Amino acid sequence: MAVYKRNYRSYSGALTASPWRFLIIARYSFIELFAIRFFGSVLVTCFFPSLILAFIVYLTHSETVQALMNLQNTNFLAINSLFFVRLLQIEGWFALLLTAWVGPTLVSSDLANNALPLFLSRPLSRAQYVAGKMVVLFALLSSFTWVPGLLVFALQVTLDKGTWLHDNWWIAPAYFAGALIWVALLSLLALALSAWVKWKALGSLALMATFFVPAGMGEVFNVVTRMRWGRLFNPGYLITVIWNDLFHDALHFRSAAWENIPVPLAWASMLSMCLICVWMLSRRLRAREVVRG
Amino acid sequence: MTAVIELDNLQVRLGGRAILNGLCGSLGGKSIGLLGPNGSGKSTLINTLLGFHPPAAGTARIFGQDIRTSSAELRAGIGYMPENDAFISNMTGVHFVRYMAELSGLPPAQAMERAHEAFFYVGLGEARYRKVGTYSLGMKQMAKLAQAIAHGPRLLFLDEPTNGLDPPARQRMVQLIREIRDDGGIHIVLSSHLLRDVEECCDEVMILRNGSIAAISNLEKERQENRKFVELEVSSLNGAAGSVDGFTAAMEAIGCECARSRNGSIKLVMPAEVEVPRLYSLAAQQGVQIRRMNFRRTSLEDIFLQAMEGGSAAARSNGTAPPPPAMNQGVQSGGL
Repeated sequence: MAVYKRNYRSYSGALTASPWRFLIIARYSFIELFAIRFFGSVLVTCFFPSLILAFIVYLTHSETVQALMNLQNTNFLAINSLFFVRLLQIEGWFALLLTAWVGPTLVSSDLANNALPLFLSRPLSRAQYVAGKMVVLFALLSSFTWVPGLLVFALQVTLDKGTWLHDNWWIAPAYFAGALIWVALLSLLALALSAWVKWKALGSLALMATFFVPAGMGEVFNVVTRMRWGRLFNPGYLITVIWNDLFHDALHFRSAAWENIPVPLAWASMLSMCLICVWMLSRRLRAREVVRG
Repeated sequence: MTAVIELDNLQVRLGGRAILNGLCGSLGGKSIGLLGPNGSGKSTLINTLLGFHPPAAGTARIFGQDIRTSSAELRAGIGYMPENDAFISNMTGVHFVRYMAELSGLPPAQAMERAHEAFFYVGLGEARYRKVGTYSLGMKQMAKLAQAIAHGPRLLFLDEPTNGLDPPARQRMVQLIREIRDDGGIHIVLSSHLLRDVEECCDEVMILRNGSIAAISNLEKERQENRKFVELEVSSLNGAAGSVDGFTAAMEAIGCECARSRNGSIKLVMPAEVEVPRLYSLAAQQGVQIRRMNFRRTSLEDIFLQAMEGGSAAARSNGTAPPPPAMNQGVQSGGL
């Protein structure tokens, strides 16, 4: 319709599939994120650990490169479960930092501008709204955690001529599951805090505080009570317990089992944290605030 | 007239308080006005129809579809312009409207095309590449209207659309609402506490008071009925009070509804078949001099005041005119 024809007309064309409309929210959020200065550079930086470890994998299999680098002994470069769990730990830190940077703006900007009624007055549920926002973090964090991790695994499988795959096939699902849990926790936590904290800087601080303040308080509790249960509030520790279990005790926690939290409890604690985040989101993400009293 | 909105004992409780108390009624106008003082439940009713608040009891139907069971389907065909500021500040106007249109189900290309159209339609064509956060209040109102109509809804909810607008901007908004009403196959629900807005835009009105329906009135029918309200100032030629009473009785005998006010004036509703000269002849017969005659027709203000001052909150049936203001001594005249 030409712009000079200024009269209202209804729409009778085709509509997009309703169940996938939450991806529109993700698409627009990505556009906003990539409009942030330096975001691209920071994202690329997050890929460095995987690239470096991929090079190490290549190095262990390439005698030419070893000779060029004058490496006599490459035993210290063993590609095993510890190698992958260390990669996961490094990428986990990068994921935490990136989430603390981009996560707090995802929901808070919509809440600050009172845009939620506009979203929810459309054929879109609150769950779809959250899913749309979560896809952003999920895709971003996945892109430099489990995706390159599995590519490094595939590189190792391709280059190895022996029985490495037969002995270590379980590393791939362990890596995928371990990264997925971490990404899910970070995404939910970031969205929950974003829904409650309007200021971006404060949101970032709150996210970091969620990891470090309970951890510190938990250790103090442990020292005072001579117990170990204070670690139940330390997400960083809990995820390490879970990763260690997934990677068949690669970090040798089992030898010090007396001072560690049992794995089922770590799982239960992580699940509780996720549920608290979901509850926080459901409390806050409403089209209209109801004032009681 | 097909019902656009049917309210079936709709009750809404928020924060432990009853906000809407068992609303019952049917609204079928092309443009429906929701009137009521602040806190009467207008916005809550719109929010409930949009699915923001669950009904505590009863239900409502929009185009025959239950809001409890078909909320998502209904929202696909609804446009909503909220009362307060609601936008995405760091997006350009046209991208904001495109985003909203896409969420309503339009494919990206069509959404973009209609976003441009909507912006030109509301008169913000030149400002469509500016960030919404930089818009003035009037422009933000227009942008909100643009996002509400971009996807071509069947039903448009406008919650206080003229809030904060200066007179020219208000006039422009009212004109746009009337154009939308007249141009397309769209129904409008306009919530406002400004009688003039509703009177200019709506053909049916529901008046809410304390969460209950105080009146439902078909303004179009009221206008068409052309009932004649007259206020007379009379004096007796021979000074006898009885002659004025006789004049009143004579007017009632020919079908007029009369009421005497404290200041001595007579307010009456004339049936359509009675012409004004007849009153002069009756006055002459009764020895009464008509010193002043004011004509007025029923206005929304009359209906509103009648509904607000009525003791019971019983809703009148759709299309039934309320008793004329002349019959109510407490009603102030405020004709068009």
